[in-house]
Amino acid sequence: MKNNWKSYSASEHYDEMLTSAGNPRQIARNVAKLFSDCTKKELAEIKSAAELTIKDMGVTFTVYTEGTNIDRSWPYDVIPRVISAREWTAVSEGLIQRTKALNCFIDDVYNKQAIFADKVVPPEVVLDSPNFKKQCVGFSPKHSVWAHINGSDLIRDKSGHFYVLEDNLRVPSGVSYMLENRQVTKRVLPELFENNSILPVDDYPTRLYQMLASLSPTGKKKPCIAVLTPGIYNSAYFEHAFLAQSIGAELVEGSDLYTSDDDIVYMRTVEGPVKVDVIYRRIDDEFLDPEAFREDSALGVSGLMRAWRSGKVAIANAPGSGVADDKVVYAYVPKMIEYYLKEEPLLRSVKTYLCHNEKDREYVLSNLEKLVVKPANESGGYGLMIGPASTEAERRKFAGLIEKTPRNYIAQPTLSLSTAPTLIDDNIEPRHLDLRPFILQGKESWVTSGGLTRVAMRKGSLVVNSSQGGGSKDTWIVESGKK
Amino acid sequence: MLSSVAERLYWMARYHERTEDLCRLTDSYTHLLMDLPEGSEMGWDMLIRILDSSEAYESNYRVYGESGVLKFLLSDSRNPSSVISSISAMRENARTTRDELPEQAWEYTNELHLFAQEHAAKSIGRRKRYQFLDHVMMSCQQMHGFLGGTLSRDHAYRFIHMGHLIERADMTTRVLDVGAAAILGRQKSNPTFDPLLWGCLLKALSSLSSYREYMGPVIEPASVADLVVRELAHPRSVIFCLKGIQHDLQEMPNNSRAMGMLDEAIKEVSSFSIKDKNLHKLHGLIEGIQQRLHDVNDIIADSWFR
Repeated sequence: MKNNWKSYSASEHYDEMLTSAGNPRQIARNVAKLFSDCTKKELAEIKSAAELTIKDMGVTFTVYTEGTNIDRSWPYDVIPRVISAREWTAVSEGLIQRTKALNCFIDDVYNKQAIFADKVVPPEVVLDSPNFKKQCVGFSPKHSVWAHINGSDLIRDKSGHFYVLEDNLRVPSGVSYMLENRQVTKRVLPELFENNSILPVDDYPTRLYQMLASLSPTGKKKPCIAVLTPGIYNSAYFEHAFLAQSIGAELVEGSDLYTSDDDIVYMRTVEGPVKVDVIYRRIDDEFLDPEAFREDSALGVSGLMRAWRSGKVAIANAPGSGVADDKVVYAYVPKMIEYYLKEEPLLRSVKTYLCHNEKDREYVLSNLEKLVVKPANESGGYGLMIGPASTEAERRKFAGLIEKTPRNYIAQPTLSLSTAPTLIDDNIEPRHLDLRPFILQGKESWVTSGGLTRVAMRKGSLVVNSSQGGGSKDTWIVESGKK
Repeated sequence: MLSSVAERLYWMARYHERTEDLCRLTDSYTHLLMDLPEGSEMGWDMLIRILDSSEAYESNYRVYGESGVLKFLLSDSRNPSSVISSISAMRENARTTRDELPEQAWEYTNELHLFAQEHAAKSIGRRKRYQFLDHVMMSCQQMHGFLGGTLSRDHAYRFIHMGHLIERADMTTRVLDVGAAAILGRQKSNPTFDPLLWGCLLKALSSLSSYREYMGPVIEPASVADLVVRELAHPRSVIFCLKGIQHDLQEMPNNSRAMGMLDEAIKEVSSFSIKDKNLHKLHGLIEGIQQRLHDVNDIIADSWFR
């Protein structure tokens, strides 16, 4: 039996492939046709070919369960998600604008603090945040850019508009899976690439390299770049190794580096010490440098902050960047764009209630069942409460938490995430998804063509994190008109 | 190349070699004991003494029986030198250096690890033991052949190669030292069994056919020692291992201290000779060589791993 999309119904949400009338969107016509021509047997074949490819390519992520680490195959759904190039151009501009404003903000709060003086953002929102690092005050990195790699999470609401859900300015991950997903699709659905003009994604490593190289404190033509990983047991280790390899950088752990008395960072090699110019770090601020942050950190490098502050080494993302991806700060981003860039925000943000504002808090506490409550600075989808799906006891627990530490919580209306056709067993069913594009800012700015689409594999679920059973899709930015 | 990566490759190779050597030793010793009459004063404790693990053994086991010793050697993860621990350590080092090795090297190592995890504990008894030892030795040889046939001759290869050689030389001296002491320490020598014992010692070192080739069919103790210590053409001999390391070192940066150390070690081993064929002097000679091997290991670590 063939799938003719008749039995597929996404009715109440915006669907990425089909219009509300149930017809394929113009931009996704070829993909829709290919899958509607497939029998169940063919679908199963495509799926198992994809699984085999992923296994062969060794694409894994690490999950911690019961104290042990398991390398799992990366979850990939074979049906690509299609976005039109025209729409994406607008989104990209919005992302670049947003990232620029965030960088202006970070540079400002660690230096002049003009935005406080001008009463655009209340200082306590920033200064009381654990993400504000006093060790960074009074310093400004090259190009005045702090967050060089931003992974903003986007969603589409019922109307089909993109919204920024959050910015990830610390150590955003997932870009290697975006690249691998494309590789897999090329292998298992090569026929689709004949009739579609799909923007390539594999220039990311080159762009990443150029951006990192633009941060180098020396004029060296080929600066020495190192990717600093917490090690093999980190859930994103695969990505660290992948990126290091694809940009020709050394993959190092803290113990491979040391800082000399004159604040130069060296890498221990069999040829002797080698000076490091740029560190792409994939460990959190708190663990970066036991001299400056947590003394018990075995992952970091003593003296790294010294070296960074004296301009001898560049760190991406700069320490302290996390001050701007706090969910409370998120609420102020549209104002920042107007304040720093004198521009109108190009991308929408989600209405955010700040629990430390009395009025907002009252609203939140009396509307808990309608809202999503999130801790202000946790990532990975942990510790949040989705109102409509919550129990009485959960709401009571969160009400208590909010009253105890209001600064730590924000609330947003429950958004209707868009859906896309996803292969579940041998059926094609709608599943909710989001999108994480990656924005690079060094000397210049750049956005990936698309990004990593994450899918909530359980019916009706909005949790897309791979650590909690989420899947992923190849994301296509397609130029309309035939190739 | 990062120092930490070099160190892991070196230790991966040491554990790889240790796994194989330990299996071969266990295998040939099992064979030997079947040939000996009861009360021949050769016990299982000898294997533990070769590994210098008496203390660790005695704190976990009461008697030196066959099953206890074999469990300790093959499947006891509390023993850092057991087959299962060596394979785990080899795998852990391979896992963290995957980028430096061909993809299959990791797969082979992982397969060996899975095999050992599943079978080691079940292979204590004689019947299954051979199969197990045989499989592990073959896997080690497969990995060896694969690396030798695919790796570029760069630093990664040199550290792996040196790791193998230093471990092998170390094992050769241990087997010779403890084996000879055990044979000589018996109350009365026996013309029927003595050659058998020395032959077993050669087998444990994969040296029996080389012995026949270079020394003839009659097994004489002093010639056995001579072969495994300083026969240049024999790949299990101490001198062969040291010469191999010397060759690798020539290509390394900052090698002058290590080269000096190697020259001295080679000089000492080349002049190895048992005066008046008095085998009781063997232990002292070997102790000297072992000290040299330690020094070589330390100077490698000092020059490139720190």
